[in-house]
Amino acid sequence: MEKLKAAFADRRERSGFLLAAPAFLFLVALFIVPSFLLFIASFWQFDNATIVPTFTLSNYLEALSRRAVLYSTLTALKIGFWSGLISTVLSFPVAWYIAFKTRSNVLLYLVLLSWFSSYLVRIFAWRTILGTQGIINSALMSAGLIDKPLEFLIFSPLAVIVTLVHIFVPFTLLLLLSALRNVTPDHLDACRDLGGTRFDILRKVVFPIAYKGIIGSFLFTFILSAGDFITPQLLGGRSGMTVGFMISNEFRVSGNWPAGAAMAILLLIVFLAASALTTRLFRLLRLAPGVRYHPLQNPASASRR
Amino acid sequence: MKHTWTCEEIKATAIGKPTRRGLLKGGAAAMTGGFVAPFFSGPAQAESLGKMNLLAWEGFAFQEPLKDYLAAKGITLNISTIATQDDVQARLGGSTPTVIDVSSYNQGYSELYGRILNIMQPLDEARVPNYNEADIFPEFFHKPAWYWEGKLYGVVMGWGINTIVYDPAKVPEPKSYTDLLKAEYTGKIAFVDDPLANWPIFARLSGLGAKYPNVSKDELAKVFEAMAPYRDQSKTFAASIGDVTNLFGSGEIAVMFCGWSGLPTETIKQKVETRYVIPAEGGAVWSDAFFIPKTATNLDAAYAYIDGIISPEAQAKHAANTLSGTINKKAVALMDDATRNLFDYNNLADLFAKSPLPNIPPIKSDEFATFDDWTKAYADFKAGF
Repeated sequence: MEKLKAAFADRRERSGFLLAAPAFLFLVALFIVPSFLLFIASFWQFDNATIVPTFTLSNYLEALSRRAVLYSTLTALKIGFWSGLISTVLSFPVAWYIAFKTRSNVLLYLVLLSWFSSYLVRIFAWRTILGTQGIINSALMSAGLIDKPLEFLIFSPLAVIVTLVHIFVPFTLLLLLSALRNVTPDHLDACRDLGGTRFDILRKVVFPIAYKGIIGSFLFTFILSAGDFITPQLLGGRSGMTVGFMISNEFRVSGNWPAGAAMAILLLIVFLAASALTTRLFRLLRLAPGVRYHPLQNPASASRR
Repeated sequence: MKHTWTCEEIKATAIGKPTRRGLLKGGAAAMTGGFVAPFFSGPAQAESLGKMNLLAWEGFAFQEPLKDYLAAKGITLNISTIATQDDVQARLGGSTPTVIDVSSYNQGYSELYGRILNIMQPLDEARVPNYNEADIFPEFFHKPAWYWEGKLYGVVMGWGINTIVYDPAKVPEPKSYTDLLKAEYTGKIAFVDDPLANWPIFARLSGLGAKYPNVSKDELAKVFEAMAPYRDQSKTFAASIGDVTNLFGSGEIAVMFCGWSGLPTETIKQKVETRYVIPAEGGAVWSDAFFIPKTATNLDAAYAYIDGIISPEAQAKHAANTLSGTINKKAVALMDDATRNLFDYNNLADLFAKSPLPNIPPIKSDEFATFDDWTKAYADFKAGF
């Protein structure tokens, strides 16, 4: 409390609090509180089409015992992982080019151009491109490369991943670009002067400085793709059932909010675990700095040095 | 006593032999009209009932059949489309229901909407004069799915058959559901993600049709086990009827497993001619009724709209547009032969005796699989289990 008072006494701190307050209150009111209510509801019971406020773990136990829930969660995680990985990997060279090789933003605007079409329009556009009688199949057949349409192009996890990558690349590009702006030419020159190879520059300079943007762009795409159920439903075919769809089913079809809430909380835990795992992996691979690069935040380690 | 001139009286006066009294009345009316009319602009004389929020199935909002009627009443429809019946309870149930003036429900949902979720309000029959015993087929007048505890809750706007729709240019006509298991249909079938259309047929194909919707939990497992080969034959689960239409249009599918028999009217708009066929196992009869939710705010427009959609003219046009059945006896005479011959209106009692309108599984039961059990089993089935 004293610290808070002291912080408010400082004019800069006070204005910082005030500037952050609207967004903070917005998040508290429309995310934290509803999430908490969802958490509470996950222990309630659904009986005779009505929700009974009680305490039961049955919603969690049932969700964990249903093979379809586990399988659709795995499907969602696979879709999320590949969408996140491909979006980030594809965006990185573009972000690098925009950050270090060109002064023009034309390429950035070209990529961002796809934002001008709606999410659903893009899904249906990909249906047209990947369809049995779509652009790709028609072109390949016209060229005589195939004699019948490639069925796997549409209504498959591949179609879902391709579409989600297209949807999320502008986001990952912006995140990566923002992160790479922290890497100055001086950093790169210093590494080169010390005999670093291109790989060393990437591994020892760029990644540790821009790791938050890299992890952020991967996780951003991963979480949104894994939680999505519209694209898998419209493009995933029989194998496109994701856990997001099952959660939606509980809320929308059954009206079984407690079961839907329990599944949503379980998915949230999986996402938190995936986030922690990704960050940990970056640290293990020494691609993220960790505390040793921030001696001021850790006086003990600073004094040891 | 005040007398208002009707069109017929004016016509009779004009055509018939003029009398002195008639001429005086006519002259007075014309003089009055001539003086008063300029003070009223045209549109102001029509009713203006304003915007009405309608939550309805695609193709079932009656815009075209009611075009002139809605204009005369000054009703502007603000339409939200239902993809599946569940969209209705999703919008109207829960703690934050949305403002909807009119929505529709399948007959199987009467108990859920009317008694459990309690989202419907009773209708004042005096405000729906077209709904009367003389004009409405007895199968749709004051029957339990729409009328209970002495009050009317729903007015059926259309009914029909859910069945197989196929593209004759791509596949042969399936005579039975079992035909769909043949190699020529592999990867060409789409299920519509509509439990109401699918569940009765699923039960029938597993040999439990007579018991549906009251099957035990063990029997429920058998139902979906029997459906596994059909799932393996399919290409996708379409999100809605609109989605199925697009899939036919883009040539992705050649068969809709079970759904609205009026689909050919939609696919033809995408230049794909499809046909519906009732296979050996039969189709599943459905009906949809409009109701006024408790969240309605524009009751005048809601009543006027519901009364309008069951007028003989609107019913006849709607039946032709959607290949569905009418509830209004007078509408039958206004139909073209093709629409009239879709159903045997002289013997509807027999039709509904053979194919009764199915209910949904019980909401709560210790003996039978509940609606929630079916929903979960259906979700598992879609996921491949």
